Amino acid sequence: METVFISKLKPFLDTVSELMEVYVPSKSEEHYTFTRYDKNSDKPIQLNSIRACTPVKEFLFPMRELAATYPESSPPQDIKPFAVLGLKECDLRSIEILDKVFEEDDFRDPLYINRREKMFIIASDCGEPGETCFCQVFGGKGFAESGFDLNISQIKDGFIIEAGSQKGHEFIKEHNKIFAEAPEALVAERNQNRIDIENKLKQANFQIDRNIGEIVENSEESDVFDVEASNCIECQACTRVCPTCHCFYLYDAKQKDYFVKMKMWDSCLRLGYASVAGGANPHKMLGDRLKHRFLHKFVYFLDRYGIDMCVGCGRCIDADAGGIDLREVLKKLNAEMK
Amino acid sequence: MKTIKISESFEMDKNLYQPVNGEIVEIIDESPTIKSFVIVPQEPVKFDTGQFVELTLPGLGEAPFTPSSSPAESKKMEITIMKAGHITGLLHQCSKGQKVGIRGPLGNGYPIDDFVGKDVYIIGGGVGLAPIRSLFLTLIDRIKDFKSVTCRYGAKTPQDYIYKKALFGDWQKITGVNIKLTVDEADGKWKDNVGVVTTILRSDDVDISNAVAVVCGPPVMMKYATLKLLEFEFPEDKIYLSMEKNMSCGIGKCGHCMLGKYYVCKDGPVFTYDQIKQYPKIWD
Repeated sequence: METVFISKLKPFLDTVSELMEVYVPSKSEEHYTFTRYDKNSDKPIQLNSIRACTPVKEFLFPMRELAATYPESSPPQDIKPFAVLGLKECDLRSIEILDKVFEEDDFRDPLYINRREKMFIIASDCGEPGETCFCQVFGGKGFAESGFDLNISQIKDGFIIEAGSQKGHEFIKEHNKIFAEAPEALVAERNQNRIDIENKLKQANFQIDRNIGEIVENSEESDVFDVEASNCIECQACTRVCPTCHCFYLYDAKQKDYFVKMKMWDSCLRLGYASVAGGANPHKMLGDRLKHRFLHKFVYFLDRYGIDMCVGCGRCIDADAGGIDLREVLKKLNAEMK
Repeated sequence: MKTIKISESFEMDKNLYQPVNGEIVEIIDESPTIKSFVIVPQEPVKFDTGQFVELTLPGLGEAPFTPSSSPAESKKMEITIMKAGHITGLLHQCSKGQKVGIRGPLGNGYPIDDFVGKDVYIIGGGVGLAPIRSLFLTLIDRIKDFKSVTCRYGAKTPQDYIYKKALFGDWQKITGVNIKLTVDEADGKWKDNVGVVTTILRSDDVDISNAVAVVCGPPVMMKYATLKLLEFEFPEDKIYLSMEKNMSCGIGKCGHCMLGKYYVCKDGPVFTYDQIKQYPKIWD
């Protein structure tokens, strides 16, 4: 893997932004969100310590997008190349999960792929784990070893940049002027930081001693979800901010002289989510919908795609207005099994 | 069970959200709540029996339907629709000439080749007869390939019967076909059985050791018919169920139709009981 050094972020970002639009994390109160990079702004660029509060899926699978026009079809939307800086290991895993769904062999979603191919991923190592982070449960280490084009690790006196894809290698090669060779001592510093964050994650307060899929699969008779449902206000925030939740619905609308089919995020917590025209609804009760969400994430998705549909980012915990904490739900289910 | 991969019907990266334009050329009143729509798509929509399409009413929405016509005919397609919800209600208000959109075919179909040499035991109820009609037409096209086609069908009342001419006449005359009918509530003229469809199922209707069952109808009817078949010791992997779920994208992504790990729209809508019995609420 190609490893280089930069002392300042700005020349690097300016170079990337000449080629494409760049989204960078910026602090908004205690959270991070992505904003468009402006090279003329003197707002300091800071690599976020933890993942943004918004999910990376927004870049690949926007909340609402045009799926088709008819009677005349229109060419695919012209998506310009874009870069996202500061994606964390958990974000990359969420992309891996979305890829499984939208790039599945027998039907590749052209809208997703259009954006995915244009995305330049500049990941970065985590600093401190956030209060709600629990990626360690899914093997998270706080830094990424694959799934990025470039990865940036902040060290005391600069940044170590690593290429993780052909696109990343080419970028470094073509812009070698802005990069210096990475001194061994600085790479060692980066490696030490990585050991530290991994250790901190290992000590995080949420550990679970049993296979999560097994815990959730065994919840059939449990009333935990019904109890949790009494706190849930059905705001659907957990599914919106979840980087792996990908339910959507299609709706039709009339434009001036043509019709459109739109694709829009949906939430399995919505009452009418699974109901059919005849009135049947397998998830009439909110508790059943919460349970389905867990079963989908930890049992069905794993069964189908070989990976949990949760990355332990904790966004749902931060966002939940009703105070439902996924970690606590799993703990309660685990305790019931004992 | 054989599944038909979507990739066999579609080229890669084709926009499957894009409907094919079509037009309703004929509307047939089947019952007070059921109409059949004959649709001509601008380009042929070639489907296998049991697969479904998403039918779009321009600007208003789309809903999934299994064609009731024979797959041998791809230039036009017939869809039988019961007025049950928003889109079906709007469809019932349409007249001849209405423009529509069609996405599909979607999902798997009935694995007809696996039925060869066997008694095909079809149990249907209500508007569930629509997909069964397509299956029936496919089977009678090559009736000699099957030991028998045995059909048990129930409707609420005699007025609710659809495809009356075929059901009470034409199909009954075909050698190898055996049809019995029932209604939940009879009128003065009804001569056949009165009672739900399970009341006309008998363990010796077919040779269970060499038969497949196809069940299609309202969820409650499918549930009790399946239980009856299990009581007859029908093998679980020989009971084919056409599952009804909320299918929006039709391509196994949007999540609405999930049944355990399966997407009913893509892995189904036809499942064997054996495949799905482990999951909760399959009949809800």
